[in-house]
Amino acid sequence: QRPLIHALAVSVLPSGVADGVGGWRDYGVDPSQFSATLMKTCERLVREGRFTPSNPVGILNSAYYELLQNKVPLLGSSTACIVVLDQQRHRLHTCNLGDSGFLVVRGGEVVHRSDEQQHYFNTPFQLSIAPPGAEGVVLSDSPEAADSSSFDVQLGDIILTATDGLFDNMPDYMILQELKKLKNSNYDSIQQTARSIAEQAHELAYDPNYMSPFAQFACDNGLNVRGGKPDDITVLLSIVAEYTD
Amino acid sequence: MFPMLTLLSMFYYICLRRRCRSGSRSEALGSRRAVELAQRASGPAGGSSGGGELEQYAKEVVDFSSHYGSENSMSYTMWNLAGAPNVYPSSGDFTQTAVFRTYGRWWEHCPSAAPPYRRTPRSFHSKDYLELAFEEPVYPTAVEVLETYHPGAVVQILACSLNPFSQNPPSEVRWEVLWSGEPSKAPTHQSRQFSPTIRQLSFPTNLLRVEVNSSLMDYYTELDAVILRGVRERPMLALYKMPLIDMNDLSDGEDEVVISSQRHPLAGDGKHYTGNGYFDKLPYELIQLIVSHLTLPDLCRLAQSCKLLQQHCADPLQYLQLSLQPYWATLTDASLVHLQPRCALLQRLNMSWTGNRGAITSTGFCSFLKVCGSSLVSLELSCCHFLNEASMEVISQTCPRLQQLNLASCDRLQPQAFSHIAKLSSLRRLVLYRTKIEQTALLSILTFCAELQNLNLGSCVRIQDYDVVASMLSVRCRRLRSLDLWRCGSLTERGLAELASGCRLLEELDLGWCSTLQSSSGCFQHMARCLPRLRKLFLTANRTVCDSDLDELAACCPRLHHVDILGTRMVSPASLKKLLQSCPELKLVDVSFCSQIDTRAVQELSTLFPNVAIKKSFTQ
Repeated sequence: QRPLIHALAVSVLPSGVADGVGGWRDYGVDPSQFSATLMKTCERLVREGRFTPSNPVGILNSAYYELLQNKVPLLGSSTACIVVLDQQRHRLHTCNLGDSGFLVVRGGEVVHRSDEQQHYFNTPFQLSIAPPGAEGVVLSDSPEAADSSSFDVQLGDIILTATDGLFDNMPDYMILQELKKLKNSNYDSIQQTARSIAEQAHELAYDPNYMSPFAQFACDNGLNVRGGKPDDITVLLSIVAEYTD
Repeated sequence: MFPMLTLLSMFYYICLRRRCRSGSRSEALGSRRAVELAQRASGPAGGSSGGGELEQYAKEVVDFSSHYGSENSMSYTMWNLAGAPNVYPSSGDFTQTAVFRTYGRWWEHCPSAAPPYRRTPRSFHSKDYLELAFEEPVYPTAVEVLETYHPGAVVQILACSLNPFSQNPPSEVRWEVLWSGEPSKAPTHQSRQFSPTIRQLSFPTNLLRVEVNSSLMDYYTELDAVILRGVRERPMLALYKMPLIDMNDLSDGEDEVVISSQRHPLAGDGKHYTGNGYFDKLPYELIQLIVSHLTLPDLCRLAQSCKLLQQHCADPLQYLQLSLQPYWATLTDASLVHLQPRCALLQRLNMSWTGNRGAITSTGFCSFLKVCGSSLVSLELSCCHFLNEASMEVISQTCPRLQQLNLASCDRLQPQAFSHIAKLSSLRRLVLYRTKIEQTALLSILTFCAELQNLNLGSCVRIQDYDVVASMLSVRCRRLRSLDLWRCGSLTERGLAELASGCRLLEELDLGWCSTLQSSSGCFQHMARCLPRLRKLFLTANRTVCDSDLDELAACCPRLHHVDILGTRMVSPASLKKLLQSCPELKLVDVSFCSQIDTRAVQELSTLFPNVAIKKSFTQ
């Protein structure tokens, strides 16, 4: 839930979220281990410069490959969404596998967003390492299946990256309302806003009468449900701002 | 008695004088004794006249002899040594560290091991090396090696006068030993910062070489970072004195090779020597035997003492085996020219690691081979970066009887160079670890080298389809005794099945990290049934290895002595116990990261089977 602040003296700023897909507890596997290791590996790749800014799918590919090179027999699956901000060229490169995602907000409106990738209801695209024998049963999408896009960004653009815990519980207009409250681009304000978005989504998730986006989608698919969707919520918030010391 | 003593003391005096001269020829600051004297004289503040001390992490790993990880990975690979540490001060088996391919003595006890060379100097312990480039050249004041798992393997640290980032071609490339020591084993596997006392260097350096020997290690040694501390300005040393030569200096660690091409001071003297005193009473063969125990530099020095001993030391029978690897830092084309007349009967030649940074050229090597290669049976050329296609062609033409060829880590050798190896039809042992050989050349070699017994294709990443390779082996190389397919990614159960059916004499099979092999196909059980002679089997990180596989191995392969099943969740302590019971010769079993086999199970089994080293690595 910690927001990422655009205040670092690097020319390229990657960030990402990953969501461990549940159901692994039956195999005795902690579902957060895979996604955490995936993101730590992405972080390491980025720190060592082993990536091309304009190709975030490459980061995902390399990270997945590295997971397979670990002596420890990792198991689990995860969605992933990586955005790379090229500060010099003012361009954002993104890739998304699964139902995490990002929004780019400009002047109070959503100008770019990722698409959810689902195989079927509540079954997102996911990277996975399955136990032997279960390969046919466990979904395993290739990093190449991720959606990628690149576009220009402007000063003042807000980039929000989050897991499905946010988008399933908070529709866009509510997110935009919160973002309007962002006064300036200093660390504390952004931290505050990200926290309040996450907390609000968390509250809505446990409201049994609230017609969440998730419930709405379920109804559209013939399932008569109401209420929020309790889930882990991760929100990353960044603003394209002038770099000041 | 007395004439003998006089002769011997005269002989000794000549050797002593030789040392003296070489002492004054070397850089004035080279001798540690002189530095210690000077430092004691000038006080502890020592001579740092320039600015403060600069501390640097390695910028780039420029060369190394082996590593555990995959070629384009950052897990357990040498490239992890660049930059700041990732793990230190934690200790454990982490992906972010640099790990070499082997440890301990296990690989020396396998059919694929190369027999050792005679005349290896006792001070040369190095088995693996790595070279690191730093940003800025400094006069080193300290080198710190951060070891994060099973420390104690570093045996030598050297510094080079060449700046690998400079555009100007170097005038002279020199390597100086900063520190050297014996292989050791730290009391625990805990991480430590290894910072030995290093010698003072007379030139600034930003290129370091660390040599290791993990023979005493219980498990893979792992390094996290190397820190170079130094000063930009040359430290001033007051009160420098001429080094005092005493008897202790004669056995000094630094081995300066006096393989010079110039002087033969006693040749063409004009004088006639009518007698050699008591030496004439000794049979020729006896002197030959005595001289056969000398290391190469001593042999060359002795040759300069008198005509008789020159004859002995230059006798080609002293050069049936020649290992130049310990002298990689000083060996040049000129040295090869000097050795040429003595090496007409050469059968075994080890030039691994030589030719560092242009000291040996392909041309120099080829000339040497053309004179000395016709009887060559064994050729070790690991990490010889001077090799090119021309050299491979010359090898194939001048060494028709070659039986052993080692090209491990010759990763700059172009793919087309390997096609010449197919002409060496007597080849029995071929090592191509970490080379760029491609499928066509390899298949060609397998077609024509039907005598192959030991083949190492570890980390040969340019081969597209290992099933085809396995198929060819099963048809053409039926005498195969050892096969290393470490990280050969495309091998499937089809290839393994053919291999096992065709190469029934296999004793050693390394299928580590071959992730495409699925136990559910029955391939491991089939392999066990086909290969009763199996002594070494590595199935490292094959996550599908299960109890049934171990049961079949227990039933069919009683001669097993080294087994590695790291990283599988499917093997239980019970089937491991059955294996240990059925295979009385087992010495090494690696069950690291096998989730069903915990430390308690390992302890129990170790008590029951005290002769077996059961390895269980960990990350915490």
